[in-house]
Amino acid sequence: MRYLLQRLGFYILAFLVAVTINFFLPRMMPGDPIQSFLARLAQNGGQITPETVTALESLYGYSSSTPLWQQFFSYLYSILNGEWGISTRFFQPVVDVLGRGMLWTLLLVGSFLVLSYTLTTLGGIWVAWKRGSRIDSFVTVGSVVVSSIPAVVMALLLYFIFASDLGWFPTGYAYDPALDPAFTWEFISSVLYHLALPLMAMVLLAMGNIMGMRSNMINQLGEDFIVMGWAKGVPDRNVMLNYGARNAILPVVTAFAMSVGGIFAGSLIIEIIFNYPGIGQIMFQGMVARDYPLIQGYLLLMTLMVLSANMIADVLLLALDPRLRTAVL
Amino acid sequence: MTALIEVKNLCVDYITLNGRVRAVNNVSFTIEEGEILGLAGESGCGKSTIAFALMRLHRPPALISGGEILFNGENILDFDEESLRKFRWKDTSMVFQSAMSCLNPVKTIEYQFYDIFKAHGAVASRQESIVKARELLNIVDIPEERLFDYPHQFSGGMRQRVVIAMALALKPKLLIMDEPTTALDVVIQREILQKVYQLKQQFNFAVLFITHDLSLMVEFCDRIGIMYSGQLVEVAESKAILTQPQHPYTFGLGNAFPTLTGELKAMTGIPGMPLDLSNIPSGCRFAERCFKASELCRQTEPALHYQPERGWAACHQVLPVTARTGQDIPTEDVY
Amino acid sequence: MKKLWYQFKEFFLNNPKAAIGMVLVLGICILCFFAPLFTDYLPNARIARPHEVPSADHILGTTRMGRDVWSQVIYGGRISILVGLVAGIFVMFMAMVVGISAGYFGGIVDNVLSFFTNVVMVIPSLPLMLVLASYLDQVSPLVIAVIIGATSWPFGARVIRAQTLSIRNRDFIHAAEVMGESRRRMVFFEVMPNMLAILGSSFISTVIYAIMTEATLEFLGLGDPLSVTWGVMLYNAQQTSAIRIGAWWEILAPSMALASLAIGLALVNFSIDEISNPKLRAQKIMAKFRREQAKEDKARQAAISTNKALEGVA
Repeated sequence: MRYLLQRLGFYILAFLVAVTINFFLPRMMPGDPIQSFLARLAQNGGQITPETVTALESLYGYSSSTPLWQQFFSYLYSILNGEWGISTRFFQPVVDVLGRGMLWTLLLVGSFLVLSYTLTTLGGIWVAWKRGSRIDSFVTVGSVVVSSIPAVVMALLLYFIFASDLGWFPTGYAYDPALDPAFTWEFISSVLYHLALPLMAMVLLAMGNIMGMRSNMINQLGEDFIVMGWAKGVPDRNVMLNYGARNAILPVVTAFAMSVGGIFAGSLIIEIIFNYPGIGQIMFQGMVARDYPLIQGYLLLMTLMVLSANMIADVLLLALDPRLRTAVL
Repeated sequence: MTALIEVKNLCVDYITLNGRVRAVNNVSFTIEEGEILGLAGESGCGKSTIAFALMRLHRPPALISGGEILFNGENILDFDEESLRKFRWKDTSMVFQSAMSCLNPVKTIEYQFYDIFKAHGAVASRQESIVKARELLNIVDIPEERLFDYPHQFSGGMRQRVVIAMALALKPKLLIMDEPTTALDVVIQREILQKVYQLKQQFNFAVLFITHDLSLMVEFCDRIGIMYSGQLVEVAESKAILTQPQHPYTFGLGNAFPTLTGELKAMTGIPGMPLDLSNIPSGCRFAERCFKASELCRQTEPALHYQPERGWAACHQVLPVTARTGQDIPTEDVY
Repeated sequence: MKKLWYQFKEFFLNNPKAAIGMVLVLGICILCFFAPLFTDYLPNARIARPHEVPSADHILGTTRMGRDVWSQVIYGGRISILVGLVAGIFVMFMAMVVGISAGYFGGIVDNVLSFFTNVVMVIPSLPLMLVLASYLDQVSPLVIAVIIGATSWPFGARVIRAQTLSIRNRDFIHAAEVMGESRRRMVFFEVMPNMLAILGSSFISTVIYAIMTEATLEFLGLGDPLSVTWGVMLYNAQQTSAIRIGAWWEILAPSMALASLAIGLALVNFSIDEISNPKLRAQKIMAKFRREQAKEDKARQAAISTNKALEGVA
């Protein structure tokens, strides 16, 4: 229990650090959001009154009259209360704007996690089993090559070929806009159809995980308990899964926790290129409009996602590794 | 007694990028039912390779390149995967060197017993497996409530006893013990060997015991085979190995260990290094390090010959019966 | 010299992956850094009508602005590669300083540095970069390199820390310590040389990562739209709806350049891993083993069938 509390403490601290960065960045940066907003307003011939300035200051959460530490705590207070500011692009609370895209992002990332980790884990086990064979070198080199293609390039090429040119897949949206969201096969199949290509791009990009599982597996195959499994006359498949893979999966869980940030970053690019209406897409619209509250909200949300993934991984490791359980509980 | 296992001209090669290296060369021996045969030799002499080859558990890059291994008259090298799987543990089981790492760290002991029974169709239900596993833990003196513990919760000696209990789960005819006690301290070593001996009396299985500890081996085994660089150089009754060695290498090994009984003598080693197996000279492999080596030894490789009353030895210069006790080879001068 | 050349040749013959990777990387570098030799056009000159289809004159066609795509690709590669290198060096430097000090000095130094590393690691780097870059408005490639460097070092630092720890606990380091070697000497002459393979491979992965990330940031419109890099080319192509009007060359050219460089570097990296990691090297022996085993099985099968035939005769 103490171990879990320790981890939780670390996550809370890490979140505070992210909040602090969010707080100080705009105050340190040369591009003061208020000044730049005022400049843009002036350019467009808008009226600048002291009221506009105060309104902007309260919008961005700072004012020249209160001391910095007070600003920080009130900022922290509002963050914890779910008041992440008002989006200057959508004129709605940041939390609502991000929440709208979250469903689709979670659908994309969630199905990616399930599909990709199943594929690469099974693939890794399989090629480790066949190591040294032709199929092994083909899969290993193939996965290195495919996964080293930059996400932008992969997404653009898939989009260009399969969506734009061949027209096999839709060029945007999460479902056919003509349909009403409902729990019908028609709607669900439309969602899946729109999901397919972005999902495929993400899965291809993560093919490199096969290599990780493969080398974990090869490391395990040298262990004595694997040989003992064979000596016991346990069928091959059983030895591979219950002895080899069962142990080789442990480092994968740790690696998963570390790569979650990268996965969301990948989904950002994919959503933008495939016009998929997740938070990445929303973030992009905010970024083009220099919607700072939204951009900062996005950073906080991503930090929260990574931290939750780490927490899940911690619990998962405890469930999977009895040695760790004995050591820390 | 009849031969339980008969090994004929077994050869095992290691595949390296620079060609094959023969780790076990033309080794033949038999183990009778209920007999304890020991295999001794320096590390790297191929004794563990033989142990693994007997169950066809040798791992790549090791490759059996010749010979036969007859178990009750059947050549296990001709077995297909399925009959091999059934043969393993049911007929021959094994206690590994590293009790620390030969149990699956993420599964309970109970599961690892169940695995054995299930693989060989020995139980009808998990419940039956648990009952049997409890009995087995009892015979190796481990409290049965520890059945549901994980391997890391046991001490080294206990873990080795768990492994022995597992090895006996299917009442095999042959138990291979590959340096089973090297990683344990001396007191526990003895406890475990006594336990195995007692169980052997009870269940009458044969044992192939592998170690480099000759004094331990002499007490425990009926017969002992001595290996040098992949070859069997001497096989004899265990007492004869120590008291009347025929091969100079056996003689040297006997000097390198203190006996537990008898007078205290200066311990001496064998000069030189074990042979580099990728560069084998003609003639006797031990000639370079042998105090009796002659021109003949350097040119012709000796074959195993049977000496009446003494056993088999592969040597041109077989030592006299009195070598150990007599005055003709004063050990201090030789080494 | 001849011998060196021979060894070189042997190495690449034995490692076709490394050879292909090196050829890709060197080829792209030569094309980019000697760009004027390979094109007559300047990357920013309007030299033709917009969106011309590839032809003998403009082998990769032209952009919306009537610029030669081929010359943009090879000139643009210069900056992309340089950004990758600068960011790579920056990241490696940070990772080495943090990782080696944490691993070598241990104790409170390790605790503080590890905590710091872990915190930066759980703050997702791309969003952080986006926030930084958007505050700085459109930024030059050099600033992008610095931003990448500042946010991407923790992973390397962790790997290097773990490696330092394992080297630190080896006998020869203890021996050197007992003999009274100074700490600085120890770090530079005992610890670092033992990590060359891992440093080399993390440097290359960082360069790949930096090149990809630079392209991403620029593609998202955070770069300077007037500079010529692969990322900006993609951005411009996207902005001018190259995809919709079927100007495939405008997308394909920088994409292929980026992908080839990344694949080339990844293959080199893969080979380094293969050579320095004995477990992966064992794969070659495994391949040989499989061949030998097949031979052996065949011989055995043949022997069995002759035996059966003989029995039949008898």
